[in-house]
Amino acid sequence: MLSNFLSNYRSVAVLAFVVLTIALVEFFGVRASVYPSLLPFFEWLKYSSWIGYLGITYGSVYATIQAVHLISMALIGGTILVADLRLLGVLLKDIPSETITKGTHQCFKYSLSVAIATGIFCAAGVADKVYYMPVFWIKMLALFAGSCFIFFIKLPLLNSRPHNEVDPWMLRMLAVASISIWFTVAATGRWIGFS
Amino acid sequence: MINELLLQFAQYLEAQEYSQMLVSGYYSWNWLEATHVLTLMISIGSLFIIDFRMLGWVLPGVSATTIADRLHKPMIIGFVIMFITGILLVYAKPVENVQSFWFRLKMILLVLAFINAWVFNSRMRAAEGAWDSALVAPKPLRTGAIISLCLWCGVVAMGRFIPYDWVDCPKVSNTALLWASGCVEQLNAL
Amino acid sequence: MNNSKWDDRTIAAASASLIILGALLYYWVGEVQSTVELLELAYGSLKFFNNPLVF
Repeated sequence: MLSNFLSNYRSVAVLAFVVLTIALVEFFGVRASVYPSLLPFFEWLKYSSWIGYLGITYGSVYATIQAVHLISMALIGGTILVADLRLLGVLLKDIPSETITKGTHQCFKYSLSVAIATGIFCAAGVADKVYYMPVFWIKMLALFAGSCFIFFIKLPLLNSRPHNEVDPWMLRMLAVASISIWFTVAATGRWIGFS
Repeated sequence: MINELLLQFAQYLEAQEYSQMLVSGYYSWNWLEATHVLTLMISIGSLFIIDFRMLGWVLPGVSATTIADRLHKPMIIGFVIMFITGILLVYAKPVENVQSFWFRLKMILLVLAFINAWVFNSRMRAAEGAWDSALVAPKPLRTGAIISLCLWCGVVAMGRFIPYDWVDCPKVSNTALLWASGCVEQLNAL
Repeated sequence: MNNSKWDDRTIAAASASLIILGALLYYWVGEVQSTVELLELAYGSLKFFNNPLVF
């Protein structure tokens, strides 16, 4: 019976497992005990790694990579907004939402890759500072959650059937959740700059 | 002459009560800057999608002029917000911005980008119907799209450089750079 | 996989969306600012030039 359930409801089971793991990690203080052991890595990232060295020594390189990070963020925002506003029925209403979803995903993947790569570089340059910033960890959590949401939840559902077979409120909820999580990633990123 | 005029105007703005309130407020500056940066996603995001479609990199199954038409409004809304927040940001720190080499370069690139957009738009209207469903736009429009991408990437990069002090007036000795940055005091001292 | 409206992927999507929206609401409203301070911020942005929190 359990194997039947797991084979029919694999996505739900995985989601439940992930949520339970996060809850247990938090409840048993695993996060708090792992956190201090990450400090050597962050210090290595800033003071010993070549990306940290580049970032500290050449401010112009750091600023240029930051600009690329901003541009990739703009592109992520653009693809997310176009796809999700179509799901909400606000934009491009005369074009099938399946076409918009599929057509923007490739661009989203590339811009996310560039954003992550440049983000690692930007974080490396100030690794000893961001380690102590709660807003940095919130951004990482939001980025992880947003990426998993897009790749493992939203897209499998939207690519598995015509969108008119999905409950319209389901589509709206997906779109709002997607816009919200990516806005949070961008806003917390901006907040890091202010801290 | 132009540098002196710009500096005088900037000093006049800096002396105003509202300019000082904007820059010294606990939240005001941060909100302005955060709004300016985050609105990039709407304005530049929409613009990049349009340009990428011209190059055939995104949404290949959708007519390019449809994409340009539908995304035009959100793009304009984004740019209006960025324009307003940008003006307020300059108003908050007028002297710093007027004497910033990167800010001046950003304004030049902005003007060029808008000229390119106007030319691009006219060409697109003229070529309407002939190539809509094609994977890539005709060469003049592709060229316009590439120029647009380069100019707007330049605008974002120059904006990112503004807070850095590498070529601030006290640090520069090159006459051409001093003139380009509008460093009136340092130029007069030479 | 069954063909009903509420199949595996739909339930996972609905649950994940609710969890994300709930977590974001908790973060932006509950953790980051107390509701009162957020209202002060919101009010401050309307009363643009006279609120000491804004200026």
